[in-house]
Amino acid sequence: MPAVSVRDLRKTFQLKQKAAGLRGSLRALWRPSLQELDAVRGISFSMDEGELLGFIGPNGAGKSTTIKILTGILHPSSGEAEVLGRVPWRQRQELAFQIGSVFGQRPQLWYHLPAVDTFYLFGKIYELDDRELKGRIAFLAEAFEIEELLETPVRKLSLGQRMRCEVAASLLHRPRVLLLDEPSIGLDVVAKQRLRATIQRMNDLEGVGVLLTSHDAGDIEALCRRVIIINDGEIVYRDKVSALRRRYLTVKTVDVRYNEQLPPDFALPGVEMVKVGRYGAKMRFDTRVTPVGPVIGGLAAAGSLADVTVSEPSLEEVIGAIYARAESKDG
Amino acid sequence: MGRHIAFVLALWKTNLLSAMEYRVSFLTQMAGMMLNNAIYFVFWIIFFARFEEVNGWDLVDMLFLFGVVATGFGVGTYLFGNAVRLSLLIASGQMDYYLSLPRPVLLHALASRSNASSAGDCAYGLLSFGAAVYFAGAFDILMLLRFGLGCLAAVTVLISFLVLVQSLTFWIGNTNLLTSNAFNAIVTFSLYPITLFDGTAKLLLFTLIPAAFIGALPAEFVRRFDLAQLAQICAGSAIFLFLATFVFYRGLRRYESGSAFQVRT
Ligand SMILES: Nc1ncnc2c1ncn2[C@@H]1O[C@H](COP(=O)(O)OP(=O)(O)OP(=O)(O)O)[C@@H](O)[C@H]1O
Ligand SMILES: [Mg+2]
Repeated sequence: MPAVSVRDLRKTFQLKQKAAGLRGSLRALWRPSLQELDAVRGISFSMDEGELLGFIGPNGAGKSTTIKILTGILHPSSGEAEVLGRVPWRQRQELAFQIGSVFGQRPQLWYHLPAVDTFYLFGKIYELDDRELKGRIAFLAEAFEIEELLETPVRKLSLGQRMRCEVAASLLHRPRVLLLDEPSIGLDVVAKQRLRATIQRMNDLEGVGVLLTSHDAGDIEALCRRVIIINDGEIVYRDKVSALRRRYLTVKTVDVRYNEQLPPDFALPGVEMVKVGRYGAKMRFDTRVTPVGPVIGGLAAAGSLADVTVSEPSLEEVIGAIYARAESKDG
Repeated sequence: MGRHIAFVLALWKTNLLSAMEYRVSFLTQMAGMMLNNAIYFVFWIIFFARFEEVNGWDLVDMLFLFGVVATGFGVGTYLFGNAVRLSLLIASGQMDYYLSLPRPVLLHALASRSNASSAGDCAYGLLSFGAAVYFAGAFDILMLLRFGLGCLAAVTVLISFLVLVQSLTFWIGNTNLLTSNAFNAIVTFSLYPITLFDGTAKLLLFTLIPAAFIGALPAEFVRRFDLAQLAQICAGSAIFLFLATFVFYRGLRRYESGSAFQVRT
């Protein structure tokens, strides 16, 4: 049984428009003027127990909305979803004992208190007994390297420190599934890597499944084997991260420099010239159309080579291209 | 039941820890609220010095009234401090937090904040009750029990009323103005001698603005036992509690989370 399964899930928001003031409120009560917005338009997917699944898409794609439906925060407009065999919006409380969630933009730790106070409160909320809770806190403090931070009021922590405490809090009750909505938002490179490493470690140690959204392709690349790309409420791509690379990383960019001047009409068959200078050129080709051999041969034949660099687009660029393709299909 | 009690106690403890971080502001707010109440009461001292009584209500009744109402407000808004912020929590998507944890949302949200000024109300209410007992010249342990029950009823109806009004947020978006009007109305009317009203006005105080259940009814009951009043108090509390819970959970299905997306025109 998959840990998460979603079938044809839809969510339409009603944007309320009301005039200011008491009279406006009363009028809105009788005659609301509504405008609809389709945030999620019939998505289906599933996630296995213990899987690390990436969920990415541009701003407003519907990632947070989907995660909120899966935690039971929002009711969908239609469609089905099950998390660990439960329907989130009907069995919200039961489910909450089994899953953890972190929303990067919505802290759950009490702002004026040290994180450990929230941990103890969560212990009561999740009905953990005191001994077990103490052990668990010690374990997570070690895993997340937050031993020194636990006694400091949360408002005095840096964003990276706070986020490690947030994720640790969501793991107190040993959830089987973790829903992380942009946990790396606003973190610097080092803090991101630390957080990734810890999430990976918790997945290794306890087999907790993670559904992760992020705007950083690096997060996905480092953690997830499979990725779902969503755009404008629809899934536009789903596959292994490696397949994503293989499929889209066929475009190579070549930077070449020569010891002698190039003819201004320098060109190679099947290769797009991005820029031709006097001593060098930048070009791009797709290995599925133009094999590598002739291109390199052509480059060598053109003169005495000083330097060649062949590079692939970053995952970031690949994803950008997929968004763009999805947009143009719609438009 | 037991597990919910342990949970709510843990919440209250956490609130207290949070308030302790700001001890000074806690104490000044508390003192400020007591002063506020005392000044308001001076008005009634002057009033009754002139008129002695209004349709059977005298200054001692007023002391009982202030005792129940101030204690009820104090205890209510201390233990369920978010009752005055519910509309904000709903409109700004802050219910997300309560919805992602395995506890009853309404109870969890209400009990997750304690207002410092409430402690001032509470202290004032107890003083007023003390004064009432002193001037009434009659006291027994049953009166203390009736006072406890009266305050409980006041808390229940007050919180239920606040929840009911603010649950409208689920349907019509932020109701700040409506909420503050409703809050002022319920405070004002619960602190009036009920004998000033009759007919439709009185009916309103038992229904739309249930100030009678928060003030006059429990206050009279505390002063002297009356079975019919006891029944009214219990029924009123139960009905309003049920209504509030029902309407809130109905609305919660329409909850739209981070709906800072309202368009004001
Ligand atoms: N509570 C709400 N009320 C109305 N519209 C909403 C609400 N929440 C989200 N939306 C709209 O639904 C769409 C999807 O939003 P969502 O927050 O799911 O996007 P997202 O993929 O998480 O984007 P981001 O990367 O910016 O976080 C957006 O157009 C947004 O404006
Ligand atoms: Mg989002």
